Order: sequence, then structure tokens, then C-alpha cells
Amino acid sequence: MRSASPGPVIPWWRDRRLIPWLVQGALAVVLLVVVAFLVGNLVRNLTAAGLLLSWQWLGQPAGFDVAEPLLPFDAGMPYWRGLLTGLVNTLRVVLLGLVGATLLGTLAGSAAFSSNALLRALARGYVELIRNIPLLLQLLFWYFVVFLALPNGAQAIQLPGLVLAKSGLYLGRAALADGVWQLQSGLRITVEFAALLTGLVVFSGAFIAEVVRGGIAAVPAGQWEAARSLGLAPAQTMGRIVLPQALRVIVPGLNNQYISLAKSSSLAVACGYTDLYSVAETTLNQTGRAVEVVLILLGSYLVIDLLISAVMNGVNRLVQLQER
Amino acid sequence: MTGSPLMIEARAVEKWYPNGFHALRGADLTVHQGEVVVIMGPSGSGKSTFIRTFNALEDFQKGSITVDGIALSNDVRHIDAIRREVGMVFQQFNLFPHLTVLENLTLAPVLVRKRPKAEVERQALELLERVGIHEQARKYPGQLSGGQQQRVAIARSLCMEPRIMLFDEPTSALDPELVHEVLEVMQELAEGGMTMVVVTHEVRFARQVASRVVLMAEGQVVEQAPPEQFFTNPQHERSRQFLRQIG
Amino acid sequence: MVPIPQPDSAWRRVRRQLFASRLDGLITVVLLVLLLSAALGIGHWALSQAQWAVIQVNSTLFTLGRYPLEQQWRLWLLTALLAGASGLSWGLLRAEPRAGVNARPWPRNDRIAVLLLLALALLLPAALQLTALIHLRWLALAVLLVLARWAAGRWGPLRGRWRPLVGLLWPVLYLLGMVLIGGGLGLSPVPPGEWGGLLLTLLSASFAMLLCFPLGVLLALGRRSALPLLRWGSVLYIEFIRGAPLITLLFLGQNILGFLLPGGLAPDRVWRAAWVLTFFSAAYVAEAVRAGLVALPPGQLEAARSLGLAMPQALVHVVIPQALRVALPAMVGQFIILLQDTTLLSLIGLLDLLGIARTVMANPAFLGRNAEVYLVLALLFWCCCAALGLGSRALETRLNTSHTPAKA
Repeated sequence: MRSASPGPVIPWWRDRRLIPWLVQGALAVVLLVVVAFLVGNLVRNLTAAGLLLSWQWLGQPAGFDVAEPLLPFDAGMPYWRGLLTGLVNTLRVVLLGLVGATLLGTLAGSAAFSSNALLRALARGYVELIRNIPLLLQLLFWYFVVFLALPNGAQAIQLPGLVLAKSGLYLGRAALADGVWQLQSGLRITVEFAALLTGLVVFSGAFIAEVVRGGIAAVPAGQWEAARSLGLAPAQTMGRIVLPQALRVIVPGLNNQYISLAKSSSLAVACGYTDLYSVAETTLNQTGRAVEVVLILLGSYLVIDLLISAVMNGVNRLVQLQER
Repeated sequence: MTGSPLMIEARAVEKWYPNGFHALRGADLTVHQGEVVVIMGPSGSGKSTFIRTFNALEDFQKGSITVDGIALSNDVRHIDAIRREVGMVFQQFNLFPHLTVLENLTLAPVLVRKRPKAEVERQALELLERVGIHEQARKYPGQLSGGQQQRVAIARSLCMEPRIMLFDEPTSALDPELVHEVLEVMQELAEGGMTMVVVTHEVRFARQVASRVVLMAEGQVVEQAPPEQFFTNPQHERSRQFLRQIG
Repeated sequence: MVPIPQPDSAWRRVRRQLFASRLDGLITVVLLVLLLSAALGIGHWALSQAQWAVIQVNSTLFTLGRYPLEQQWRLWLLTALLAGASGLSWGLLRAEPRAGVNARPWPRNDRIAVLLLLALALLLPAALQLTALIHLRWLALAVLLVLARWAAGRWGPLRGRWRPLVGLLWPVLYLLGMVLIGGGLGLSPVPPGEWGGLLLTLLSASFAMLLCFPLGVLLALGRRSALPLLRWGSVLYIEFIRGAPLITLLFLGQNILGFLLPGGLAPDRVWRAAWVLTFFSAAYVAEAVRAGLVALPPGQLEAARSLGLAMPQALVHVVIPQALRVALPAMVGQFIILLQDTTLLSLIGLLDLLGIARTVMANPAFLGRNAEVYLVLALLFWCCCAALGLGSRALETRLNTSHTPAKA
């Protein structure tokens, strides 16, 4: 803005054009001073401790074992391989957790619209129960109270194609030999992994159920009526008519819950499952390389978050496209 | 009117929006004390943008605006001074929904003019009585009708004791049956000698109350004349065209 | 023939809700059988198999951790002050006249709350088999709360000029509580390392809640600011925090904070964790508040500015109060998560409620008593979180009076 009459010169601290820059300049100076102070201390303290930033140690042998590695790993392998093994273990539980939580959440979220009052109440109760109890407590409960309490040997719970024992969950065929279960064909899951997965699925399922419920509630009532007047069964109405439309609202909400689940998987240490965080903790204890370990941790979870977001954005685009 | 002091003087005001739209293309206007200027014009002609520059809600790139003797510049002290002297009434009322009607009125005088609260409250209740809603003083805006809300908005501006009042389409968001109650308040205000600039489509209000009608088109003032002359014998082709459209 | 609509009898309602079709009936029966057997199983376990001694014997440990015995009178005093202040605030809140709603001295909800409170004060110490003296103390505290509630409701409205002091009551009490807990001002110091159990959980959660709130509001304003440096700085901070699991940030706080500050300046391990919780929650609160800011019509700021309010005045009196109303449910949701997140302190070796529980269960005398302990903790957290949620909904309807249309 300009005044036609030249008038008195505006003092700079009262000039509307300059004030934003003055504020930002002051902020930048404060930030710079704080950052310089912190980094200066960091460098000084790390130098004093002989721990200046370096990545050489990643190549040294780790000297610890990782329980149930998906990647082959032994104590002679270097640290980076150990961390990678931990990351793969994290990815395994996150991927399975995503699938399980989505299934459970969709079921519970749809059940909130059932014609059966008991089922509706049960779905509501599930969500209210789970959301108000800390995840860590739930994980400990699943591990110590449920899975570690499984009987061993001949007392193990035997179902067709499934044996539940303290020594593990055997999917497929397993036989008892000398009081110990031996897998013949199929899959063995440790109780640690099973407890973590169950805990994550049940916890995230409750939050996803709320997302799904919100999405379904956003579908206009006329759609239900139209489907019913065409003679579709309730399950068909939900699966064919309502859910596909609700996805537009559900998918963005799912993204948040998926990221949340990925981050929550870092509590694996509570169930004795070896994930990225627990390997990182061991690595820190052995090397003292706090800064590098934290950087690796933060970077890894950031990449996982971004991956989930990228995939979900793609899904979202697909879902929104179907509208046209 | 040339005898009374100049309250608003806008000269060759030009404004571009950040997206490049050229909203004001050399708009001129002078308003003297006690005048009621009604600005009319087709939508998109820059009427609202123009009066919003008078209290610096919009900035402009070229030209000059002087309000009550203060040149509108980039000096924040001048901007604050002008805003204290200029009241504004919006199309969407913009009452503060979390405050009661009375608190809406007293907020600015107490905070900006640093006046004692009890005194401001007394004045606010008087103003509410003047606009005919004093028994609603303890209610929240959401509990009032649109016409009542707009009258509260006028009272809120008046509580700052402005020397000029700007009205930006004050009745456009109202149900037709509520329009007159707001216009009545505005007419009383005009008869009391308030300097007013009103953007509106209300022809009857313009005919009865305005001292001058201004027609804007494409970011410029095309014609200004006393209402009788403007509505019966417009000089400019754009004015005739506009009157045909609304007629 | 159109059937004549008949009054909905209880039986008819049950039929429609539970046995509308053959499938519905089957589902109902199966669910009922499952629920009943689960309830029976849990009931049987709780009454005959569970050994609740682990809770009864360690109740002090669970509530206070290793807080020195001879200093525990300070905490009793603090609890009494808190009970009095709660009663006072409760009564004044009820006595406050509201637009359109007649203030009644004892609405139904309040009567239920008082009954619950007294029942709890009577039954809980009995269930925990506390000594008669402690039993009496809890009862006295409950009575104090109710009396303060009654007195405030009775005389509160008359003392108009005392009203502003009530707003100051809680901050003053908080600071006083810090002194009582930690020592100073002539009280012998109790270092944070000796705070534990419920005390540590509540302390770290309330500390983080109080401080993350202003921080979150500032970050939200920064993210909505027109100034690029402010905006990008806030975005960077918020997204960095939201991208990281809390445990890694606690890990960072424990292991790197010491390097970032000059020697000796780094706070105690407990305070480090509390600060990390604060900075962590601030990012989420900021997102909640941002949603409130987005929902605000731009005309509000314009109206405030055209009335002559300076930018800070407009923010404090017009923008922020309205944004907070919209953000309230999401913010309380975040506070609930924050309370739950304090359990992560046990993973970095601090003795919060869960940390204490794990040390108790490591005691050979109580080995294998996991189910009892975890169940009690779950119940405790569930009640606290559900209460927060209920309170938030009540506050929401209370604040919402401004938007209800006129009744008369």
C-alpha cells in the first residue's frame, strides 16, 4: 500500500510490510541460538565420551542373538544385519497386524449396525473396553496371563490342524515326542509373537471398528432402504451396497490407524518379541552409540509410516475414483 | 455537503488479488461528514472489496485512501487508529458465538478503548434498547433470529462510538421478512447524522435514506448522483443497464 | 387390513431386538451361551482361584511406590486439599446460572455421584483390608469433599467477588502439591526417584497435560500462520513427533538429553520422561486445535480486527476460545491416550503404576499373580479413562448452549 501524499516516513517497527519479517527474523535467531547451543553441547559431550558420530561400528560383529529371525542371523554377524533382522521382524508383525486388525475392525464396526441388539451391544462393549485400557497393559496380559499360561506337552490344547502349547502355536501337523511338540508340516508361531499379534489386532481392531462405524453411518439411509426393497439380505446389503460406499470415509481414517499400529508394534519388547526397537536397545547397551541408534530408529519408523501413507493414498485415490 | 469536513477520500485505488485478479481499477470516492453513500453495482464489480479497503481489511497496491484525516499507510498505528474510528457491519453478521449479546458489545470498548466495564455495559444496554433487543442481552447469538443478530452487530459497532459506519451487504443473508427491521435501524442511524457507506441492493433504502448513490462496475465508480436523479435519469449506460436488471 | 399399532410391550421389544429372524435368534443364543460361560468362568476364578493378597498387601506400594513412610502425611494433606478443592469447584460450577437452564442445587447426576463416592470410600478400604485408621481417613476425605460441594453450592453464588479466585485455586494447588510431594520450603526433599506407582502415573500425566496444552495451541497457531518460517517450523515439529513411536522418543530423552545439555543441567530421569510426554502430546493436541481453527469462519477474525482488536487480543478473546470448543473432544481423547501412555515409563525403568506392578510380580511371594494385578490395573485405567470421556461429553453439552435455538 502506498500513500499518495508522501507524508512522514513510517518507523520500520510499525510498517505492516516489515513486521512479518521482523517476527520471523527474531524467531529464526532464537531457533538458531537454541540449536547451536544444543548441537555445540552434543559435539562437546560426545567428543569427551569418545562417541563422535560414526557408522563404523555397524560393521562390527553384534555378539547377540535375535529370537525367531525371519532373516538368517547369528551372533557373529555385524550390527547392521542385526538391526535389519529386527526391522524385518517388525515388518512381519505390522503386516499381519494390519490384516488382522482390518478384519476384526470391519466385523466389529459392521456389527454396530446389526439388527440383533445383543450383537450391537457386544460390538459397543468391545470398543469401549479396549480403548480405555493401555495397550502395554493389554500386551502384558495376553503374554503373561493368556499365552504363557498355555499348558505344555500332552495337556496342550489340541484342535484340528492347530495345537496351542506354551512352547508355541503349531499350525498344520504336529506330533508329541518325548513330551515336546514337533512340527511335521505347517507353521510354528512362538507365544511371544502370538501375544504381540493378538494384542495389536485386538487393540487396533477397536479403533478401526470406530472408523468403520463412522464410515457406514455416513452412508445415506436411503441406500439401506433401496437395497432392502430390492430384496437383498442384510449381509448382502452391508457387503455389496453399504461398505463400498462407506470406504470413501473409511480409507483416510484407516491410514491414521495403520500408522498408529506400526508405531505401537514397538512395544513388542513387553511380550519378549525381538523387533527393531528391542534390537536397537540391545545395540545401545553394547555400543553406547545413542545418537546413531536413535537416528536409525526414528528413520526406520518414518520410512514405515511414509510407506503406509503412500499405499493408503493410492488406495484412497482408487476408492474416490470409483465415485465417478 | 461540500461544507462539512471530508471523512473518506479514496483516490485512484487499484487492487490486485494474489491470484492476479484486478479487482479495483482506479476507484475514486469522497464521503463528507453526515453523508449516507449507497454503493450499488453488479456482483463482482468490486463494491465489497472497495469498502473493505477503507478499514484495511483488504490492502491495495496503488492510489491513496484517507479516513478521518488519517492516511491509510503501512503504519500499523494508523491502521489501528482508523479501525477504532470506523465501524463495520458484515453480510454474515460475524457475531462472536461464544459470547453473550452483551459481551459481544462490551468486548472491544473494554479491550481497545480501555473503558471501565460497568460504564460500557450501561452504554451497551442503551444501544441494545435503541435497536430493540435489550431483553435478549444475556442470550447467545445462536439463540437469536438473523434480523436480531444483525441488529446486535450494528449495536456492537456503535458501542465503539465510531465516526464512520461501513455496511457490507447487511441484509443479503436475511430472510426477506426480516430485512425491514435492520433497515429501520440503519435509517434511524442515518437520521441521527452518522456518516455511512452502505453496499446494498435495497433500492427503497437507497431512495429514502441515501444522500448519494454510487454505481460501481468493473472496479471503478461509474456514476454518482442523488438518488432521485440516479433512479429516474441515470446518465451512464452502465447505470441504465444495471437498473434494468434489478428493476 | 392394516394391523392396529399396539403399545410396544417388553416382550415384543425383546422379540424384535433379539429374535427378529431365525438367524438372529441363533446369534443371540450362541452369544448368550458364550457370554454366560465367560462370566461364570471369570466369576469362579475371581471368587475361588484368584489370590487377591497381592493387591491387599502391596496397596501402598501400588499407590505411592517407595515414597518414604515418615513423609506420607504430606500426601494425605495433599489429598485432603484436592478433595476440598474438587468439592468447591464442583459446587460452584453447579451454582453458576446458565442461559436457559435453571440451576438446581442437587441434580440427579450429583446425587448419584455422591452416593458412589461414599460407597467407594466405605467399600474400597475394606476390600483392600486397610487398617481402621486409614479406613477412617478415606471416609473423612470423602465427607470433606461432599461438605465442600454442599457449602460451595449453598453460599458460592452469594460471594460474587470471590469467583475470580477459584480460577487461581488449581494452579496454586498444583504448585503447592509439587512442593508437598517433592519437598522444599522447609520440607525434607523426596527425590523423583522415590515417587512411584499411581502417584508417579498421575503426576507425569497431569504435568504433561497441563504443559502440552499451551504448547499445542501455539503450534496449531503456528501451523495456520501466514508467516512461512512459523508455518514450516510447526509442520516440521508436528510431523516429526507424530512419525515416531513414543517409546523411541522416551529412549531419546533418556539417552541423548544428557548429551544435549551441559553437564549437570540435564534433569532427573523422571522429569526427562515427563518432558518427553509433554512434547509428544503437544504435537497431537496441536492437530486437534488446528481442526478447530480450520472450522472457524474467517469472518470472526475480520470482525474482531475491524472492531480494533490487536492480533493477540483477537486470538485470545475470539479465535482460540472458539477453536478450543471444536477441538475439545479430540483433545480429551488425546489426554486419555496420554494417561495410558504413562505406562510406557515402565519400559524405560521407571516405577509408574505398571513399573511397580512388575517389580511386585518379580517378588517370589507373588510369582504368577499376573492375572490379578493386570486385571486391577486395567480396571483402574478403564475407570479413569471412561470418566475423562464422560466428563468431556458433559462439558461439550454444557458449552454448546450458545448454539441451541431459542426455546421461548
